[in-house]
Amino acid sequence: MDAPTATEQTAYVRRFSPTERSLHWLLAGTFFAMLVTGLILYLPSLAQVAADRQLWKSIHLGAAIAFWGGTLLLLVSAPGELQRTARELDSFDEDDRRWLRWAVRRGGTEPPQGRFNAGQKLNSALIAGLMVVFTISGTLMYLQETDASFRGTSAILVHDVAMYVAVPIVLGHLYLALVHPSTRHSLRGMALGTVRRDWARRHHPKWEREL
Amino acid sequence: MRDVRMGRRVFLGVVGAGVAGLFAGSRLSRAASPIGSVVPNALHDLVPDGWRIYSVNPPWPRFDPATYRLTVAGAVENQLSLTWDEVMALPQDTQTTDFHCVTGWTVGNVHWTGVRLQHLWDMAKPTAEAKYANFISMEQPYVDTLSFKQTLLPQVMLGHSMDGQPLTRAHGAPMRLVIPEMYGYKNVKWLTRIDLVPTLNAGFWEQRGYDVDAWVGRSNGY
Repeated sequence: MDAPTATEQTAYVRRFSPTERSLHWLLAGTFFAMLVTGLILYLPSLAQVAADRQLWKSIHLGAAIAFWGGTLLLLVSAPGELQRTARELDSFDEDDRRWLRWAVRRGGTEPPQGRFNAGQKLNSALIAGLMVVFTISGTLMYLQETDASFRGTSAILVHDVAMYVAVPIVLGHLYLALVHPSTRHSLRGMALGTVRRDWARRHHPKWEREL
Repeated sequence: MRDVRMGRRVFLGVVGAGVAGLFAGSRLSRAASPIGSVVPNALHDLVPDGWRIYSVNPPWPRFDPATYRLTVAGAVENQLSLTWDEVMALPQDTQTTDFHCVTGWTVGNVHWTGVRLQHLWDMAKPTAEAKYANFISMEQPYVDTLSFKQTLLPQVMLGHSMDGQPLTRAHGAPMRLVIPEMYGYKNVKWLTRIDLVPTLNAGFWEQRGYDVDAWVGRSNGY
């Protein structure tokens, strides 16, 4: 192990911009608001505790509107910035593909990664896709209530399945961000924007080199 | 080193699967519906068992066997006001039928025990004026309606027991209308009164644009 020197330990580098962090926490806050209210609307046992469906439905829809409204605001307020982040997340190089194989097999040394590792790239693509699926199916569920021409699609089933896919991904994300010893330092990056330089060198060397 | 635009493929793959599911899903959910029926009874309240509990005016009504009455009134020769014991003393029938909700979920093979409406009509003796039946819930203002003929369809009953257990509060205790040929909103929960009337009154959801004849697969845009 490369023992960091005292100066390195206190040296921090910026990993996430205020816009990126805002988008992350906007998603985190609205996702959990929608998860909790959605489960209340979904689970028979919770329906008994909180029978005021109209209230939970309003909060659920309000959070969805807040998520997309806030996202739009961030896209407009920092033109191009989130698009650059998206391009970074979109692009998988040879090291990323090797990293995914390494992450599955856990053998050998970790292939070097940029600012985002391949798992983080995959996570963001999956969650972004799921948010669109939630929105399309949720909008249909909303329209079906009042307009028969929107019935006949399986919006409710798709919404449920998307939840069953999203929750394990988010739980895995929470484990790596809050619990797992070698990765949880990244929470600091999302909270304050900066991470320790030595941590960046270990986990994201291709990015750290360019700083 | 060759960069691959993999993020967008994953993103578009997820969106595409979701959109495909919107159109293929009704077949899938019917295939998956037996899964709900293998969940042990003790777990039914904790995990989704296929049912979703809808209500329009919380809190849910409470059933008190001492004060409960089933009233049959309107265009009848004998108005009825049956106690719970009297309802349970009526001839009982059982059936196993699927339950379809208009929002797209289905619970297969629900086992019901209950009373055919013919037994009530035998006692109340509907007059020639009795063209429609309004089924009135303890949950005000929920009401839905069937034509008198529809009340005599072979699988229509007032169900008080579901899958071997007395109907729970969530499912409309003590009794709900069961008409498996029609979507769930016709299957009035917390039933307390039936009015026989000469003209059609729109039910709760019919007043909000849903079809009066809610045949499964043949109404409400399906």
